[in-house]
Amino acid sequence: MTKLMLHRVRMIFIMVIAIFILLSGRLAYLQILRHDYYWNRSEKNRYARVTLSAPRGEIFDREGRLLVTNRPGFGVSLMDMGDGYDRETIEFLSELLEMETEEIYQAIRGQLYMRYLPLQLKNNIPFETIARISEHRWRLKGVDIAVRPIRDYREGSTAAHIFGYLGQAEIDEYTRELWAAAGYRYKEGDLVGQDGIERVWEPWLRGQDGEQLIETNYLGQAINYLDRREPVPGHNLYLTMDLDLQRVVEETLARWVRIIREEGNKHAGRAVAVVLDPNSGAILAMASYPSFDLNTVRQDYNLLQDDPLKPLNNIAIQGYYPIGSTFKMVTGTAVLEEGLFRERDIITCPGVITLYNDTKSCYRNHAHGPVNFFDALAVSCNIYFYQAGLEAGIDKIAHYAREYGFGSPAGLTDLPFEKGGIVASREYKAVATRGEAWYPGDTMSAAIGQSYNSFTPLQLANYAAIIANGGIHYRPYLVQQVVDSQGRTVKETVPEAIRRAQVSDRTLALVRQAMRRVAQPGGTAWYRFSRLPVAVAGKTGSAQVDVIERGIPSHSLFTGYAPYEKPEIVVAVIFEHGGMGESSAVPAAAEIMEYYFTGTIEGVMDTNARSAAD
Amino acid sequence: MPDRRLIKNFDYTLVLLVMALYAAGALTLYSATRGLDGLPDPLHFVKRQALFFGVGLACMLAACLMDYINLTNWTRYLYAGNLLLLALVLLLGHEVKGAKRWIQIGIFDLQPSEIAKLVLIITLAKLLAEKEGKFSGFQDIFIPLIATLVPMGLIFLQPDLGTSLVLAAVLMGMLYVTGLHRRFLLALCLAGAAAAPLSWFFLLKDYHKARLLLFLNPELDPTGLGWQLMQSMIGIGSGGPFGRGLFNSTQVRLQFLPEPHTDFIFSVFGEEMGFAGAAVLLLLFFLLIYRILWIGAHSKDQFGALLCCGVAIMFTFQVLVNIGMTISIMPVTGLPLPFLSYGNNALLVNLIAVGLVLNAGMRRHKIQF
Repeated sequence: MTKLMLHRVRMIFIMVIAIFILLSGRLAYLQILRHDYYWNRSEKNRYARVTLSAPRGEIFDREGRLLVTNRPGFGVSLMDMGDGYDRETIEFLSELLEMETEEIYQAIRGQLYMRYLPLQLKNNIPFETIARISEHRWRLKGVDIAVRPIRDYREGSTAAHIFGYLGQAEIDEYTRELWAAAGYRYKEGDLVGQDGIERVWEPWLRGQDGEQLIETNYLGQAINYLDRREPVPGHNLYLTMDLDLQRVVEETLARWVRIIREEGNKHAGRAVAVVLDPNSGAILAMASYPSFDLNTVRQDYNLLQDDPLKPLNNIAIQGYYPIGSTFKMVTGTAVLEEGLFRERDIITCPGVITLYNDTKSCYRNHAHGPVNFFDALAVSCNIYFYQAGLEAGIDKIAHYAREYGFGSPAGLTDLPFEKGGIVASREYKAVATRGEAWYPGDTMSAAIGQSYNSFTPLQLANYAAIIANGGIHYRPYLVQQVVDSQGRTVKETVPEAIRRAQVSDRTLALVRQAMRRVAQPGGTAWYRFSRLPVAVAGKTGSAQVDVIERGIPSHSLFTGYAPYEKPEIVVAVIFEHGGMGESSAVPAAAEIMEYYFTGTIEGVMDTNARSAAD
Repeated sequence: MPDRRLIKNFDYTLVLLVMALYAAGALTLYSATRGLDGLPDPLHFVKRQALFFGVGLACMLAACLMDYINLTNWTRYLYAGNLLLLALVLLLGHEVKGAKRWIQIGIFDLQPSEIAKLVLIITLAKLLAEKEGKFSGFQDIFIPLIATLVPMGLIFLQPDLGTSLVLAAVLMGMLYVTGLHRRFLLALCLAGAAAAPLSWFFLLKDYHKARLLLFLNPELDPTGLGWQLMQSMIGIGSGGPFGRGLFNSTQVRLQFLPEPHTDFIFSVFGEEMGFAGAAVLLLLFFLLIYRILWIGAHSKDQFGALLCCGVAIMFTFQVLVNIGMTISIMPVTGLPLPFLSYGNNALLVNLIAVGLVLNAGMRRHKIQF
């Protein structure tokens, strides 16, 4: 062998050494320096987490009747059985489910390496379609009929505003972090309570989703099922609401709207009622008319939003109403409590009065003649309360309005967005009009519940409750009890006295007596309540809404309680543009009370009789 | 009966190294194939490879019997026969994954391109040995060049880019060892460099190009080949210093790794045995190549020396390209790892090649009369 060749072989050997150094260097880099990185990559390769949805909590009424539950909905999924998706199956499904094949293929492509998850094609499929798919199951490869919970509002539109509804969460980063901080994890597309109890009680109803750890192969097909964390079902809620009463309230509102419309009042349309227990604040019924069907609200949403009657709004806690004559107990309280009038002091009502260059009158200029406090409230004499209001002054009127819970939310926290109302006052007018002064004429309007005064129906009920129970402002509430899936009580609501109205027992007793007179012979609401087996105390009202446009009927209002001696329920009713109190709110309230105390409504018959008489 | 002196010079180390490599390969092969779908017997591949290892060992020993110098008499027939097979495979071969590489003979699939590597080494050793290391000009390398380009072209047509590159590497390496002047080597390299862009535009298919470039950035194509390359690196990297342990490759079990028993068998080994195991394996290969070069350097004649160098170059190139591919420093060209990758032809040919080296080693001293 030549020297040159030997040299060349040595050079080859040096190259071999270099090659092996290169290879082992690279291996050391990958296996030692970058080991953690590739280890994590391989773990991520292998494992997938699948969420196991927790069943959402159910909602029951005070008697334990199931109101909101979850119903199994049928969904069709397609699964990769290990040898890809079957073309014939896809064609068959596309026909049955009325989906384009391209749509299905697109969904498959969108799935990429997530084949361990059944591909959800369609949810809430009618049973007939499911039956047809089942018939052909033998030739459908990888088709899975899965049962997925669908929120089932058993009562459809009943108490829709109380329950609220679910919607897909569109979660921005901020909200996601907020919820994460509170311990809740939401994903895009999760169903989250959008309104009502579903919204406020979301964290309780939701439960804790479980998780299944799956080992997957390169196609993303599940190979092994590893750790499993069971979902924890959401808590069940027991409401203070009584389903039967709620139904009656809603039917009554609907019926009276229909009646007054048939009588030619084309402005009537919306109505609202609140029934609560004055001894605790528990809400027994709360209805806004018209309502909407919770089971189809997501499909109907746009239509409902465009409806001029705004059925989606919970006007019981969000609607602002001038409350007219039902406000007169406030003015009465002001003069009696401040010792300006005594209850027996007589004011003579001439029917029309001109004070401060302003002419004001009683209804249809009717002269009530000499009236004391009881007479004035019973017949709803405006002149008496103008005088009383002027005597007390707006500051005192506003003060006692606040004592009765007006001007700030009544305190219902079981539903979102309760509003606080507006108490007419010097300060409010100054702000609203940019500095205009308060005139005595304003005081007169405010004294009979007009001017800026506007409150929610819940406040109207709460006001009667404070008077009825001797001055205690209970926090209104809807959720009586929270029970976990094991049946253990997690939370029990105890009635909460938020504050005591600073009104003497004597004055409150006088006001109650006067309200009793309203429902006695000679009072504005006597006729309707005369049929009831219990004594009712209350106040009617008709509130002018738009003084500029003449001819629009005023709102029809009633708030009151029964029995007079030992109050059990408060009923507050408002019919928008329902005319005088007696024409709709009073008979509706009477029927609600009648049902509460007797279990039936004779009033339905009576209504027909009245219609015939007209 | 062979001469006593011949037996004394028999290189047992080389045989032990080959057996150690084969053993590592057999264990990894079992790990890589036992879970394959549709396999009647989890040992199917292992058994088949073992059968050929046995046959190969016999052939290796047989290759030692007669003085290798006699090969020079048959070289032209070997070369012509091999060209015939390479032509036949293009006509008769059955297609697997778009490439015609095999001719089925009974239950045996003949792979002429594997044979071509050894035949070319023998051919070049004969052609170059005749020059006695005295290269004067281009006319001296013309014949070896043509002798290489013809089988290379036929193999490239299959297409089998990897093996045709092995032939090119063997040619270059052997010309270098023979003492070809650096000027000519440089000229050849330049010609190769000039041919590269031409072949890039006219010869290489798109998937070739993609594969060749992938190793530069495997994450670029996370769904196709690049994804497979990533899976190889994930397997090796996740093996860490000491590996997951024999038969514990998750990349194989969950089928993340492509071709775990052939081209990517080193990924399985790397994942299961870790850096420690991989380093030992590299050391075995290094010692093997070192022994072969040592024998070459001590050969009694040019032919023997060139034969050994050719075999050493072939092994080195395949180790570099195969392992380099799995750790993404070499393009994906589809070369098997000698003694480890599943492949009956390759194992047989590699063992015969070692047999020829052993032969040269046994007869390294001129026999004195």
